[in-house]
Amino acid sequence: MIEVDKVSVRFGGVVALAEVSAVFTQPVSGIIGPNGAGKTTLMNVFSGFVSAAAGRVVCDGEDLLRLSPHRRAHWGLRRSFQKEEIANDLTVFDNVLVQTDRGFTGASARRAEVARLIELVGLADRADTFGRDLSGFERRLADVAKCMAGNPRLVMFDEPAGGLSIDETHTLGTLIKRIHAETGAQTLVIDHDVELISEICDETLVLDFGRRIAFGPTAEVLADPAVKAAYLGTEEV
Amino acid sequence: MLKRLLHVTPSGAAGLAFAAFAFLVIPALAGKLWLSVFISTGCFVLAIAGVAFMYARLGMVSLTQVGLMGVGGWVMLRLNHAAGFPFEVNLVIAALVTMVCGWILALPAMRMRGLYLALVTLMAAGGLEIIFATYQFPNGGEGFWGVKTGSADAFRRPWLAQTPEAYLRYVVAFVTLGFLFIEAHRRLWPGRAWALIRRSEAAAMAAGVNVTFYKMWAFGIAGVLAGAAGGLLAGSLGLLDDATFRASESVMLFALAVVGGARYWLGAVIAATLYRILPALLNNWGVDADLAFVIFGAGLLHAVITAPNGIAGQIMDLAAGLRARFGKGGKP
Repeated sequence: MIEVDKVSVRFGGVVALAEVSAVFTQPVSGIIGPNGAGKTTLMNVFSGFVSAAAGRVVCDGEDLLRLSPHRRAHWGLRRSFQKEEIANDLTVFDNVLVQTDRGFTGASARRAEVARLIELVGLADRADTFGRDLSGFERRLADVAKCMAGNPRLVMFDEPAGGLSIDETHTLGTLIKRIHAETGAQTLVIDHDVELISEICDETLVLDFGRRIAFGPTAEVLADPAVKAAYLGTEEV
Repeated sequence: MLKRLLHVTPSGAAGLAFAAFAFLVIPALAGKLWLSVFISTGCFVLAIAGVAFMYARLGMVSLTQVGLMGVGGWVMLRLNHAAGFPFEVNLVIAALVTMVCGWILALPAMRMRGLYLALVTLMAAGGLEIIFATYQFPNGGEGFWGVKTGSADAFRRPWLAQTPEAYLRYVVAFVTLGFLFIEAHRRLWPGRAWALIRRSEAAAMAAGVNVTFYKMWAFGIAGVLAGAAGGLLAGSLGLLDDATFRASESVMLFALAVVGGARYWLGAVIAATLYRILPALLNNWGVDADLAFVIFGAGLLHAVITAPNGIAGQIMDLAAGLRARFGKGGKP
């Protein structure tokens, strides 16, 4: 369970997030909203790259905001970035292995886990390829494997489908849906692609100008007039 | 995992072959003057390996490497004249003291990105230059600074390497160990953490990498190598001159590391050759050694414009191309 409790973020005079609260309980949840709504800011509060002016984020009883960014990763927080961050001078295998380097399990167990995850995302034959030689989609898949490694508890994707084709987006969506079953981690997905969100997310938070405008089961939320207004604009009367 | 650690790449094989050549052949052929040039070249290869690795693997720019060599050299001379430890013990202490000094100097910059480390280390190099110029290097005198006028006391070389030929071999062995030390790190978990830090510090943090810790680790390795290089340099003549350790030399050393190719062992060798052997050659030919600066400048322009991986990168690409063409396969 992920509890976002009245989180506020200000950049100077700009209010990026205004007392946003939500309790995510489903295996895969979504966060949507127009550009500048505060989606990535919220994710950065989770990872520790942006400090919240007020509020708490509690996951499985742990107050995440008290931990330093790398300690959150040790706790089990994983995230991908809008631009996938795969190191060019490491192989796919090593890129995923980094995530387990602090684990207390033995080296061979960790290597077996990494090999399994690379196979799961469909990169088994590319495991020894260097990051610089991968295609955009392969980099994204490697990133997903990385997010699943080392006993994650909460995995966050920031616009994972950006720049992907429809088929690739579908493959990615299927993979994201498997994360909970494979690792037990809860997943949060930010995207503009409402189709992807409605396909994989059971519940969705909608932000606009830093405020929560709707939260609940995805289908209901998408039918909400306020959400439609935020996305499509209101009719002039 | 052990197999991955001990795997020999073509570039690594070439490096080991070159080390064997430098160990066996060069000392046998070189005259007395050239022996001392080669010994100092070897010491600078070790120091360049430190800065080059930090730059290539983490994108960190340190402009105080020669200053840190001075610290290592100072500790080495001080211990030689003050205590009766064997050479190797002094060398280890010199390397460790240099590492700690490097940490203290760089600590304020470790949490910052990009240019700050370069600026802070450059200031440190300037400070060290003044200290060395003011107090000079120990030569057997009294007191903490250990400086006296007149001729210096004797320096004890390692018992394995009493002659200049043997000392060159000794230095070559240390340089080889230094490269293997860096490469072993690169292949294990610190190397993975460093690669991620170079990609993006945010991504590294998100992957659970303690960015400050791993940067400190890398800077510590560069410090150890600089300290050992300074200590070995002190052992070459048994005394050091403060003019060797000016701040401008640190900047020059970094620039040459880029010209040579910071990613490769060959790059460090090329850089040290340009830095030490080229001026000696020019002197030998009766040409003003300052001409070397013109050549360095041309080399830097060449690297910036056409060779992002330096001269060594171009040579390695050429070698890989030839291997692919003549069908032996294998990755560079």
